[in-house]
Amino acid sequence: MFEFFVRSLDASTIFTIAAIGELIGQRSGVLNVGVEGIMLFGATLGFIVAQATGSYLLGFLAGIAIGALLGLLHGFFSVTLGGDQVVSGMGIWIMGFGLTTYIGNPYTGPLGMDRIPSVLGLSPFFFVGLALVILTKFVLSKTSLGLKIRSVGENPSVAEVSGVKVAKTRYYSSITGGMLMGFAGAVYALNYNPVWNYNFLMGWGFIALALVFFSMWNPYILMAGSLLFGTLWQLSLNPQLVLPGLFSRYIWRTVPFGITLIVLFSMSMKWFRTRWGAAKPDALGQPYLKEE
Amino acid sequence: MRIAGYKLTLAKRETLSGLQASMISVLAVLTALLLFSLIFIQADVNPLEAYKEIFDYAFFNSYGLPLTINRFIFLLLSTCAFIIPFRAGLWNIGMTGQLYAGSLSAFAVMYAFGVKDAKSAEYPALIIIPLMILAAALGAMIIASIAGYLRGKYNVNEIVVTMMLNFITFWLVSFMIKDGGLFMNPGGRGESFELPASLYAPLYKGVPFTLIFALGFAFFLHWLFAKTKLGYQIRAYGENPTGAEYAGISTVRIPLLVFIMGGALAGLAGYHYFAAVPGVYKIARSYAFLGDLAFYGIICGLIAQANPIAAIPVALLFGGLTNGGRFVQGKMHLGFGIDYALLGVLMITLVAFQFFYRYQFALTKAEKESPDV
Amino acid sequence: MPLNNIKHGDTVLEAKGITKRFPGVVANDHIDFEIKAGEVHAILGENGAGKTTLMNILFGLYQPDEGELFVGGENVSFKSPLDAIDLGIGMVHQHRKLVPAHSVIENIILGHPKAGKILDLKRAEEEIHELSRKYGFKIDLRAKVWQISEGEKQLVEILKALYRGAKILILDEPTSALTPIETEMLMESIKTMSSEDLAIVPFITHKLPIVLGISERVTVLRHGKVVSRLKTSEATMKRLAREMVGREVIFRVEKEEVERGAPVLEVENLSALNDKGLTALKGASFSIHEGEIFGIAGISGNGQSELVETIAGLRKEQEGKIIFNGQNISHTSSLERWQAGIGYIPADRIDVGSIGEFSLIENILMNYYFDEDFSNRGILDYKKARKLTNKIIDEFGVATPNPETTAKCLSGGNLQKIILGRVLSRKPKLIIADLPSQGLDVGATEFIRNKLIETRGEKACVILISEDLDEILSMSDWVVPIYEGEIMDIIPGEEAKREGVGAMMAGVKLEEARS
Repeated sequence: MFEFFVRSLDASTIFTIAAIGELIGQRSGVLNVGVEGIMLFGATLGFIVAQATGSYLLGFLAGIAIGALLGLLHGFFSVTLGGDQVVSGMGIWIMGFGLTTYIGNPYTGPLGMDRIPSVLGLSPFFFVGLALVILTKFVLSKTSLGLKIRSVGENPSVAEVSGVKVAKTRYYSSITGGMLMGFAGAVYALNYNPVWNYNFLMGWGFIALALVFFSMWNPYILMAGSLLFGTLWQLSLNPQLVLPGLFSRYIWRTVPFGITLIVLFSMSMKWFRTRWGAAKPDALGQPYLKEE
Repeated sequence: MRIAGYKLTLAKRETLSGLQASMISVLAVLTALLLFSLIFIQADVNPLEAYKEIFDYAFFNSYGLPLTINRFIFLLLSTCAFIIPFRAGLWNIGMTGQLYAGSLSAFAVMYAFGVKDAKSAEYPALIIIPLMILAAALGAMIIASIAGYLRGKYNVNEIVVTMMLNFITFWLVSFMIKDGGLFMNPGGRGESFELPASLYAPLYKGVPFTLIFALGFAFFLHWLFAKTKLGYQIRAYGENPTGAEYAGISTVRIPLLVFIMGGALAGLAGYHYFAAVPGVYKIARSYAFLGDLAFYGIICGLIAQANPIAAIPVALLFGGLTNGGRFVQGKMHLGFGIDYALLGVLMITLVAFQFFYRYQFALTKAEKESPDV
Repeated sequence: MPLNNIKHGDTVLEAKGITKRFPGVVANDHIDFEIKAGEVHAILGENGAGKTTLMNILFGLYQPDEGELFVGGENVSFKSPLDAIDLGIGMVHQHRKLVPAHSVIENIILGHPKAGKILDLKRAEEEIHELSRKYGFKIDLRAKVWQISEGEKQLVEILKALYRGAKILILDEPTSALTPIETEMLMESIKTMSSEDLAIVPFITHKLPIVLGISERVTVLRHGKVVSRLKTSEATMKRLAREMVGREVIFRVEKEEVERGAPVLEVENLSALNDKGLTALKGASFSIHEGEIFGIAGISGNGQSELVETIAGLRKEQEGKIIFNGQNISHTSSLERWQAGIGYIPADRIDVGSIGEFSLIENILMNYYFDEDFSNRGILDYKKARKLTNKIIDEFGVATPNPETTAKCLSGGNLQKIILGRVLSRKPKLIIADLPSQGLDVGATEFIRNKLIETRGEKACVILISEDLDEILSMSDWVVPIYEGEIMDIIPGEEAKREGVGAMMAGVKLEEARS
């Protein structure tokens, strides 16, 4: 049972890190629906680099680096080119899905390295995730940078006339977000499930995306949501631990997705919507092009 | 930027003619194929040779061509399933889930007629095949309508919803065909029972009749958008939802309707591949591959710029490319997943080319620098 | 900083020969202009006279093609608004440049170099408090901006500029969204600020009394050029209006007496929620008869949009009844109301009233696609639609190359004519016109007002929503001030007095207003 708890926490951590990345971007107004794609890239490259060099550190760095690069690419499409952010995000997801399937295929199989040692019986990444949540909350609400990020996400033209560099702020947020997503992917492939397989994320990124909507853009609620979904996910993999014999294992696999739908639906009910509408960054998903 | 007396500037487009728009798409595809050459080069294969092999096999080979046509039908239906909601400004990325649901429904019809256990018997094809088609469309519609209804009524993001439904139906298929599921092949190979020969879809020169559906719907949709009240309402909603609401167009009905329509076509794509393509006739263990192939529907839809007629050649091209890609992958000993890699490269190139819908390069003869007044 | 040691009467900002060209127009044509410390120098001009361009140049958003700017005697050029801010120029925009979800303090310190890496909200609050006491502003600094009134938002913007160290304040249409009482208070604040040696440049389109009330000098722009510079003490309303428009302004609406007919619309105790879920319309009851214009006067955001949207069927009523032509239509859809003879001209022409990517023909179809005349078994009759479009283009004098042009290519006035023509051609019994002349030039405004008045002769009735008291008073048979979702009074047109209506628009109760 403790094992189950630890694994759940591991799973939650991955959701947390990826979703915090998405949250930072969204607070600055950049919607990135390509979380899954960036995570796939981070996972695959992290896996390949770690296996090739024998170094976990380099693996994680590779994951973060490719995440940053894709965050930059998304920033370029949606900030500089002022394109449709959904199109760009979809592009990054499908590119990630397509290319990592090709690139990673020769590496199909286990990583073959010693497991990363645990800290106090838990995965060290849990603490990283926790620190990220607290740090993000602090930066967003207590610092000048956070005020800038939030303003750019609420109303970029206001931010612009107040002297905030909108494009730069959005780039930073998108890149930071991408780094975290790439890192989350690497944590998945190097720690949580160190076996490369075709499309092995199967929806983690999309659930992380849904978590951000669910969190009402609050890192603490996001963390709570991650814990719930991490546990659910783990449960869906090991239903025998709690409810042995009930339903086929395949039905269990659908549960986290079904719950996501139910959560998204109930959040959109009127009661929630009036409160949710206030928290949503006003300029989310809207390109900002300076008038010329 | 200046090049030999000419000035290259970037200018905002005021209008975009149909010809310009299609030029952008053609250029995007060419650029993607050019970029894709890098993957061949990296694998020590001459890209020209590779492309020649791909096209030869896909379009001029008596084994390859039927496969291409079958993929074309599948892709065109998937593309139309994407285009209908897209015209209403909504993203249906759930063709995968919808086609799974459609296939399961079609198999459910056969199951109801006892096909699973008594394979050798003759079945009334004229009754069962139409029922299968109907069930495929209906099952997919039901799955898709969840996304449409949630979007219309509660404004839930349709991308996340359709994606969740993809995963749910993916596991449902596994549930039905593996581990003793209802549709499991008695041989127990982790795939569904097979169609009896009497229920094979009618063929004409080796091509299943579903081709008529695909082409027919493409033309029908074009007419629908251009001439009908419903098409007008869908387009109005897509361009400006608040304006559409002002004009009395129901903002609940339209999202629901476009997803129902799109879903039905995705369901037909499912029927087509699992019950009408010669040599398949079952939900294979590797059904995920078909689901992934449906994502090409997004790409075809974007390249065709949501024009169902333009989608016909585009779907044909990609039907051929993916089919030929698999072939050269084997023949030239490339890594697995050439078609996946192509999917990725195409998609990102397309995204980059979106830019040219709004901007254009203008090459003008540079004037002499005029002194500042 | 060139403005550090200025004295009363020093020239703080000077523009010489400012010229800015856009494709097809010269927006600013050699404009000269100066302002002294402690002075209020108004810039007056119609829409399209080049005010916005000049303002954006003074604030560093645009760079002039020709001409020079001097701040405190130094020749300067701004690359961005930041440069202007650094030199002590503060801008207060017409469309509030504030983040509604953030607190007043957060808005004021956003982007301020003094804000520091980690925000010291306490210190900022003290400093801002000090500043607002100096100029006599009363604002709750911790409130979220969406909670405060329009007048307070204006003060927040001014505070923000002052906190940045502005010595020159550019005010864009400073009173446009304010109630008469808030306007008074703002004018008071402006006087206090100028007595503290700030230089203030209000840009104003219509409100000539404001110009006369607060400024010492006026510069009038027309077609991108300065047409006159005068001391306010020498100016009169009439003269300013003539200079601005370039011809004698004889704005009068020809209104014939029309006999009061049968009731068309009866509204009983109607309440509705706004998008935030708060009650925005509180128990409205009234009836409108054939041939009447029912003019609802109020500052935007006082429940007018909720009222008209509820009548048009786009918003669900919380309680109450709507009776149209004797039928209770409370539970019908907006489409059924269109078909029953209600025509709605929305305030937002671009995002609601039209579809930018659609051709004019398809825009006309927005109010016709559902008619049996225009669709035969679900197939639209584009030929007929084109005919109708051409007719509307002719009748309403829409300037467009052809009916295939997309709506986004039309100017505001022409787009409004298309929308008006589309709605009026349906011959509705009830016309809801929400801010029909907002942002239009004098010619288009006159045209649209007269078209609306003409409908009275056809036994139609009109609900007119406007912020412009003159528009309401000159057109309406009933003048109806509205404040915070409450109908304050329903006054016969000939009995309505400016002052009383103005006071009620600002929330003064009927008994007080009459006393």
